[in-house]
Amino acid sequence: MKCRIVQKKLSAYQDRELELQEQEQVTSHLLSCRTCHERHAALEQVWQTLAELEEIHPDPWFYRQLVIKIKEPCEQGLLPNFQRVFRLMPSPVIASILLVIGILAGTYLGSILTRHDLLPSQNDPLINSQGTFFSSLKAFDPVPPGTLAHGYLQMANYEERESR
Amino acid sequence: MNSTLSSEELMSRIAKGDDDAFEILVNRHQASILNLIYRFIGDRTQAKDLAQEVFLRVWQATKSYKPKAKFTTWIYQITTNLCLNELKSARRRKWVPFYHSDGDSENAIEKTFPDGSPTAEDLLLARERSCQISEALRSLPANQRMALVLKKYDDLSYREIAKILNCSIPAVESLIVRAKRTLQKKLTIDKK
Repeated sequence: MKCRIVQKKLSAYQDRELELQEQEQVTSHLLSCRTCHERHAALEQVWQTLAELEEIHPDPWFYRQLVIKIKEPCEQGLLPNFQRVFRLMPSPVIASILLVIGILAGTYLGSILTRHDLLPSQNDPLINSQGTFFSSLKAFDPVPPGTLAHGYLQMANYEERESR
Repeated sequence: MNSTLSSEELMSRIAKGDDDAFEILVNRHQASILNLIYRFIGDRTQAKDLAQEVFLRVWQATKSYKPKAKFTTWIYQITTNLCLNELKSARRRKWVPFYHSDGDSENAIEKTFPDGSPTAEDLLLARERSCQISEALRSLPANQRMALVLKKYDDLSYREIAKILNCSIPAVESLIVRAKRTLQKKLTIDKK
């Protein structure tokens, strides 16, 4: 066997993954070739170094914690699914979606109300009372009617008209 | 409960509602799963959480489980997928803790000394060495790392690793060769 082929197969040889015949051929080559032998030794050294990696041990309460975790999802119910959906969407997207839904719902509701004549007519006392409603808005004028200031202004206007 | 039952038999018992069978199954595989995750992720606390997640998935899959392959191959598949997903999400979070030391790491190293009486210097050296190895392992790409860990520490065949990683046998061989080459460079430089 040539060195180039042996060196290609060194890893599989180390892992005992070669066919029995190939394994024997590589073994005999390693006994006769110093370069390949050194390469194999270096590979073995790395393999042995890896064994120095510490091993960890499971906690004695591992199984008990697991049982608690198993029981958890039943208590959580549907809420986590909703949370997951909302977490996936950025808030501006959610706001736009809600706005569009609001507009569509409003339009739909409006069209239903007009179609079924559910909107108040002109004879409706509600519409007639709109006049009183708008006059009551005058309470927010800078000089609301009925106040002292309003009376004074009216008097001043009267005097002005008289003098003319 | 007969603890000599195979893991496949235990799974069918769990499906029938036998909780004791699940406890035996967990006790049988918890150490190997925990260490596989730890060697891959490099973080003790995270390894413990992920090991719990693996067994949670095993529990959830008991009803649908059909023993097509060896139970260990199946559970290693679950573990590998979880580890790879965790690595992806850790990259997204840009949070990659490597070596997490906590209370029982000292005990863990102590157990690697056969005479049971390591000196403080021995402990320190062993911890440092273990840390170097972990760092070297973590520098490998995810697939190479998993293939190497499964070969080195779990002594699985290339065929089993191929099944777990869902790739061909030559691909596994190539992953392991490249991983060994990188580690050879890293660990030799570290020793110097």
